[in-house]
Amino acid sequence: MPVGPFGLDPLIWGPLRLVIAVALALFLVLNGALLQIYLERKIQAIIQDRLGPYHVGPFGLLQTFADAIKLIAKEDVRARATDPWFFLAAPALVFCPMLASWVVLPFAQDIVGADIDIGLLYLTTLGSMTVLGIVIAGWASNNKYALVGGLRSAGQLISYEIPQILALVSVALVVGSLSMVDITRSQPGPLVNVLVLPLSFVIYFIAALAETNRTPFDLPEAESELVAGWLTEYSGMRWGTMLALSEYGNVTVVSSIVTTLWFGGWQGPGVDALPLLGVLWFTLKVYGVIVVMMWIRATLPRLRIDQLMTFCWLGLIPLALLNILVVAVLALAFPDTKIPIAIASWLLLLAFIAGIPFVQRRRLASLRARASASAVRAAS
Amino acid sequence: MRFDFVEPVVFAVLAFGVIGAGAAVVLLNRVTASALLMALSFLCMAGMFVLLGAETIAAFQVLIYVGAITVLIIFGVQFTKQGGDRSYALFFQKQYPLAAALVAAVAIPVVLFAFSFNAPAPQPGGGDIRPLATSVFTDFAFAFEVASVLLLAAMVGAIVLTQRDEPEEATRRRR
Repeated sequence: MPVGPFGLDPLIWGPLRLVIAVALALFLVLNGALLQIYLERKIQAIIQDRLGPYHVGPFGLLQTFADAIKLIAKEDVRARATDPWFFLAAPALVFCPMLASWVVLPFAQDIVGADIDIGLLYLTTLGSMTVLGIVIAGWASNNKYALVGGLRSAGQLISYEIPQILALVSVALVVGSLSMVDITRSQPGPLVNVLVLPLSFVIYFIAALAETNRTPFDLPEAESELVAGWLTEYSGMRWGTMLALSEYGNVTVVSSIVTTLWFGGWQGPGVDALPLLGVLWFTLKVYGVIVVMMWIRATLPRLRIDQLMTFCWLGLIPLALLNILVVAVLALAFPDTKIPIAIASWLLLLAFIAGIPFVQRRRLASLRARASASAVRAAS
Repeated sequence: MRFDFVEPVVFAVLAFGVIGAGAAVVLLNRVTASALLMALSFLCMAGMFVLLGAETIAAFQVLIYVGAITVLIIFGVQFTKQGGDRSYALFFQKQYPLAAALVAAVAIPVVLFAFSFNAPAPQPGGGDIRPLATSVFTDFAFAFEVASVLLLAAMVGAIVLTQRDEPEEATRRRR
């Protein structure tokens, strides 16, 4: 009898791993959203010198549970002028791709729903489907704010998908595989990918912030400009599914991709002796990335839509293409070692960071020149 | 325990999805519903590709057709008038016999042609990304590059067409 992982027959282990992965995904999505909302409130409170939630339960831990129960118990409101079918379909269209992404995330050795060899492509594919749900939600709400929010969101998501995918390409070039499990296995030692490919990590992280509608890219639901953007007409658990579950689920998926691709996934001290320890390492790394995202949210102001688009099309995409070119040439020239790629990538990253002030100064100067020219024209 | 019965069931569901959604796209009176059902049809088609062992093609199908093209179409639909008195399915509503004859004339040869195929041996495991990449970048490298240049030209053209005029030029043109 062949023996699979954990001494089980592969015929039993095959379906069992899917059940485990789906159960784990549902558990983590539902509870992760509650935990992350709590974390978000607490971290922002700490940064802004407030207390945050502290009335319900110890340290306010039960606050988000109370909120969830409130959302479920709320009346299901649907305005009469909304489109009946699409209004109901949109939350599912946003939620389902996010949930399906969890199938390929490797939580630990052998704890992965399906090790398909195009895992990375699968994740990008599902990420691109979220746009559809958001646009439909904005349109079906029959509300100006929702429509503007949905259109902004479509523009933003489609644009930032490009640098996101281009950043993933450089990792695939170095690792030589698209499978999430292989990518994790390729970084056993201390030389994880973030040290080899810091530039593609930075590009991916920025694009991922935009893809998950996090500040500073939260224009689709900018509450001070658009009421609540594409979520304006939604309330109760429909709103909860769209915002709480889908957005925080997407944040977790993106953080898991970052963890797997650049931080060695479930690998850590003691994993060889006790494989289930990988779940702990993976979760810790994922939540580390999430905390950084929340820190950014509490720190940075929101961008304007033209700044957002300019930054993507004139900044991130050329940079990501240059990164791919450099990594591909070096990977072909030095197939055995990652050191040249690491040196080149760090130099590019430094040039990028150092170049921002120069580019900003030139842009400001050209804007000022244009403004004064139009003022002269208006006066004459 | 055997799981052989799963594949035909999945195939039946997907085939029903492709044909049903495709028919609904043509027959429905609402543009938005048609656009969304087209996405469903594409998704079921991607499922077919997975059943055939072509996961990469399936992923690209979803990425391009559902994630990009359908969103583009819905974008366009959002700026058209909704619920007007104009019917978008004129042909099939007014001329059933002609439509049926036309469909039959196309469908019967296609079905006969399809039945002439023999079922190919299923691919051994290991995925299709490596064979696909090898054939695209060796056997069909020229066609691939030509398509790339064409797409690049189209992209540059689209950017040039949509570019806003410089303010100086716009004022000059106004005079």
